Amino acid sequence: MPQSAAGLSDVDPHKAFGSKSAPVTMEVFSDYQCPACKTLFTTTNRRLMDDYVSNGKVYLIHRDFPLPMHAHSRVAARYARAAAQLGKVEPVEQALFQNQEKWEQSGDVDGAVAAVLSAAEMTKVRALVKGGTLDPMIDKDYALGQTYRVNQTPTTVFHCKGQTYPYSGIMTYDILKQFLDQLLSQK
Amino acid sequence: MMQSSPLNVRRAIIWIGRLVLGGIFVYAGFSKLFMPNTHLWPMFVLKFSLSMNLSSFAQQVESYKMISQEASQVVAHTLPFVEIALGLLLLSAITVIMVGFLAAVTRAYLLHMDINCGCFGTPEKLTGMTVVRDGAFTALALLTTVFAFMEARQPHPWSAPEKA
Repeated sequence: MPQSAAGLSDVDPHKAFGSKSAPVTMEVFSDYQCPACKTLFTTTNRRLMDDYVSNGKVYLIHRDFPLPMHAHSRVAARYARAAAQLGKVEPVEQALFQNQEKWEQSGDVDGAVAAVLSAAEMTKVRALVKGGTLDPMIDKDYALGQTYRVNQTPTTVFHCKGQTYPYSGIMTYDILKQFLDQLLSQK
Repeated sequence: MMQSSPLNVRRAIIWIGRLVLGGIFVYAGFSKLFMPNTHLWPMFVLKFSLSMNLSSFAQQVESYKMISQEASQVVAHTLPFVEIALGLLLLSAITVIMVGFLAAVTRAYLLHMDINCGCFGTPEKLTGMTVVRDGAFTALALLTTVFAFMEARQPHPWSAPEKA
């Protein structure tokens, strides 16, 4: 198991946010079809980005962990990866989570993504999805999650001052804030 | 003098029920508090672990759509403690009862009282063997209680909302 942020490998720069030299690194293992991941994303992500990531306190890495029990989560992960390569991961992740119930029922991930991208961007995304180059990247994230013994989503792995803390489940922003402030205040 | 009491199914069910339900209640409460996140130190990490576990449990309570979000939070933050308290009461009752029986039987034996032990329906003279047997039962009750607590520390699949 990696012991510090400095030792992290296979970070896709398109799915990582903030400064690599931030004192705290958060790896969020997530599944786009998982309701708890939706809750975590919609309740904490924006505030986390504004309060900790944008000012260099936290380096946030999104990891794909599509659970086999979810029929469309890997497809969604492919689309998000493809959009990330075009610099469009934020609107696409937001669209996937906010419309989770719709595409979960219909299986129309493409339609959910197309709603927030231009036609030209969508053409590139579809080409990337069909290209087959994204699955190995998703598999790497999944394999990394297994080394952390991730067995449910969302699981967030915090790295700070050589310590690693994997946490499973939903956290409210207030609880997360308290924890991050304590980690950042450690000497 | 101790009175004879009939061996009956009702008493057996009460005892087995106490052990099983007590163990399950302690296990259920403990797992909600400490699983899946089990970081125990330093203190702020423990606090975060508990908060994470209870937040996840609150989501599960809310998913029943029976009570409001605020009420779900209250239930999630109190139910595990209630479960542990009830479980402990049920489990400790077994041990307390057995210790009480053993004390009464031992006292009578040491005082050379010529009595029926009153342990089962069939009249039975209180002897040294009665003391040994009740001692074994008490040890079993203690072991059961200890093992129930130890079992409660093992991971439980019910605690994970999203399994790989």
